[in-house]
Amino acid sequence: MAAVQGDATDEMLMVRYQRGERAAFAELVRRHSRPIYNFVLRQLRVPSVAEDVTQDVFMRLVQNAAEFKHEARFLTWLYTIARNLCIDQLRKSAHRRHASLDQPIADNPDGQALIESISDPNPQTSAERSALSSEVRSSIVKAVDSLPDDQREVFLLREVANLPFRDIAEITGVGENTVKSRMRYALDRLKDALCDFEEYARALR
Amino acid sequence: MDCEKFDRIVLDLLYDELDELTGAAARRHMEHCTRCRGIGSGLRATREVGVLPLLDAPEGLERKILEAEQRATQLLPFGKRLGRGLSLLAGYAMRPQLSMAALLMLMIGSSLFFLRAQPGDREHVLVTERGVPESDNESVTAVVPKKASPVEAAPEAARAAGRSAPRLDDALARRDRAPEAKADRPMNLQQEPAPAPVATAEARGAGLPGLGADDDKLEEGNADIASDSDASYDAAMSAYRDGRYSEAQRRFGEIANQAGEHAANAALYEVQALRMVSGCPSAAPRFEDVHTRYPGAVGNSAAWQAADCYRSLGELARARQNYDELATDPNYKARASEAIAELDQRAADQESAARKGAGAGAAAKAKPAAASAPAKPAAPAGQ
Repeated sequence: MAAVQGDATDEMLMVRYQRGERAAFAELVRRHSRPIYNFVLRQLRVPSVAEDVTQDVFMRLVQNAAEFKHEARFLTWLYTIARNLCIDQLRKSAHRRHASLDQPIADNPDGQALIESISDPNPQTSAERSALSSEVRSSIVKAVDSLPDDQREVFLLREVANLPFRDIAEITGVGENTVKSRMRYALDRLKDALCDFEEYARALR
Repeated sequence: MDCEKFDRIVLDLLYDELDELTGAAARRHMEHCTRCRGIGSGLRATREVGVLPLLDAPEGLERKILEAEQRATQLLPFGKRLGRGLSLLAGYAMRPQLSMAALLMLMIGSSLFFLRAQPGDREHVLVTERGVPESDNESVTAVVPKKASPVEAAPEAARAAGRSAPRLDDALARRDRAPEAKADRPMNLQQEPAPAPVATAEARGAGLPGLGADDDKLEEGNADIASDSDASYDAAMSAYRDGRYSEAQRRFGEIANQAGEHAANAALYEVQALRMVSGCPSAAPRFEDVHTRYPGAVGNSAAWQAADCYRSLGELARARQNYDELATDPNYKARASEAIAELDQRAADQESAARKGAGAGAAAKAKPAAASAPAKPAAPAGQ
């Protein structure tokens, strides 16, 4: 398997994968499996389902690799696949009730709540996360989870996938101003959830 | 910038999606506007604090994905694999270098196509050395200039006849048409090409002298020639027709020396080839020799061509001698008489011109003499 340079763009890696370089695909998985998993998890709220859907996202990528055009933006394509699969999954489970953040996770044999797994998945891995109190993190997660679907979707695409508003508009199929408006509402709600915390007051100074 | 515009761009400012100029304007506006400064600060603080914690992907997810990818690639249906291959090829084909190369090849190909295309049917149009289209044998005969001098006309006629009537039996077949042409065509020694034996049949058809109709013997000989497959004679004839006169002269000379059935004609051809190579001064005595050795049609033809050479050399007396001799032959009588008359006319013209010149010279001589004579002195008045 050929070595893949770390500074290669996603699009270059995808083109290489089209030519049969499996190492390029491995690099794409390494880069994007975690953000995709988080995006799917915030949408579906069930870790096991999120894991399966994440795997499906990359399998769709494999199956449709030939259709990828080198001038297209890889992230936009990837998150469009992820979003569509999330919508399909949500439709399938529409008759079921969403798992509450406070409910024990069905897949977790230890009975750990979802909010706990989100709040403290691995304290040493993220500096900014460790800088915030667990209470703040819980509030953030609760605030995001309580967002309407369209606002949460935009918020996740902006904050998790780090996509520009123009690409988010393309993925969601709405205008850029609508995307910004949804993002503004999401941030206002998040601000309301955080304004009582000391960390927020410090950030305001 | 006003607050309304600031509200529209505040998210772009927050995520650094503004251009530098607009961003600077928004920041200047925030310095002076308390409301907008509060909005901007609140959003920035929210974004700084409200970082959504990311979960690590479950352990083994990447491995599972890669394994699934390997399985999917192995199980990829033929259509998908073909599509992938086509995509790969199309990726290469769409490169600009390949497009330019294809365009270049197309231009070269079309250029070759247009260069190769020639109008008309090339199989039936040949071009002679003079650039005259040679569509058939008759046209070649027609391009022989009538006013060419005997020296120039003979090889042309011979060449043309050689190309147009390579076989004498073909030419003999035309002989039936000869009487009309012979009757209609006036004898003109200045315009008529030399009666080359190579153009025997053509000459007969055109009523040329030298191979007259009376020579049944020669006709039989020609018929024999036509039917004979003598390789050496054909080779010599071929060389003559192709303009290789030295080779033709040598070959005809050999045949003539063998004293076979082609000896007479070969001897005449040999001298004609010599005339092509060396001109009339060398050929004229050889024509006379052939005339002497082969009495009859070939000899008469040689005598005629010798006379032609004499005329071109200015030896009119010797030319007249030959014409006088040929005038005794019924086949040459008319033409020889015309030639003699023309020689007489020319001689008369020359004499007249000479007399005029002499008279004018004498008059001119007399006038200066009178002018130069001293005036007779006047008689003295007293006498």
